[in-house]
Amino acid sequence: MELSVKPAGNVIVVEIRGSVDGLTADKLMQTLTEQVQKGNTRLVADCAGLDYTSSAGLRALLGTVKQARQKGGDLRLAAVRAPVLKVLELSGFTSILKHFPDVKEATASFG
Amino acid sequence: MGTALAIEHAANLDNLPRFMSFIDDACKRAGADEDTAYALRLAIEEVCINLIQYGYKDMTPGTIRVSFDQRGDCITVKIRDHARPFDPVQAPGPDLTSDAGARPIGGLGWYLVRRSVDKLDYRSDPRRGNVLTLTKRSARSRQQA
Repeated sequence: MELSVKPAGNVIVVEIRGSVDGLTADKLMQTLTEQVQKGNTRLVADCAGLDYTSSAGLRALLGTVKQARQKGGDLRLAAVRAPVLKVLELSGFTSILKHFPDVKEATASFG
Repeated sequence: MGTALAIEHAANLDNLPRFMSFIDDACKRAGADEDTAYALRLAIEEVCINLIQYGYKDMTPGTIRVSFDQRGDCITVKIRDHARPFDPVQAPGPDLTSDAGARPIGGLGWYLVRRSVDKLDYRSDPRRGNVLTLTKRSARSRQQA
């Protein structure tokens, strides 16, 4: 898994590439948590390059969205590919996490 | 004609990529479709993580043996271990409906295993150990059924 963090206006975009699994999910959680702790609570996860997640990745996303919303922000997903979206749907995550076709729309959704 | 392969490694997190790569490679060799390959990778990861983090917890470290057998449109994956017996068929279902604030973090692993395969069978024997059998039919075969 590779991560890159870049600001886009008042939103932080975290690009996630590769595989989020039991070995890599902690790094994702740490990266997202660091942003929330810095006060960057408006987050977009760019999932265009994310080709796999297990329940470990879902835990990182849920943990982050809880933290971000407690501080008045949110974590929103962009460009989720079909196999990953299927796992999100199976797990009931599409009802709690907003997702958008691309980063531009996800970023704009924060207003 | 089919594909039959197996591996066995110590049950520790460092070996997790080996189990996942084994399934990825076996699915490629068997010509499995992408949905099937993703589902089996997910199931194997969740099962191995549970064995490593819970099944073998506070026990002498043991092994996990994974075998892959493909016959026609049907793939059978068996996971053998000598960890504390736990029947995943009986694992409680997760909360899928609460809002984010109330949703517990975790508890999805066995649920995803159950949803990823067509059939799950668990046998435990005090001497021979535990065998979890996952059966997965290809997407094409599921559409025809």
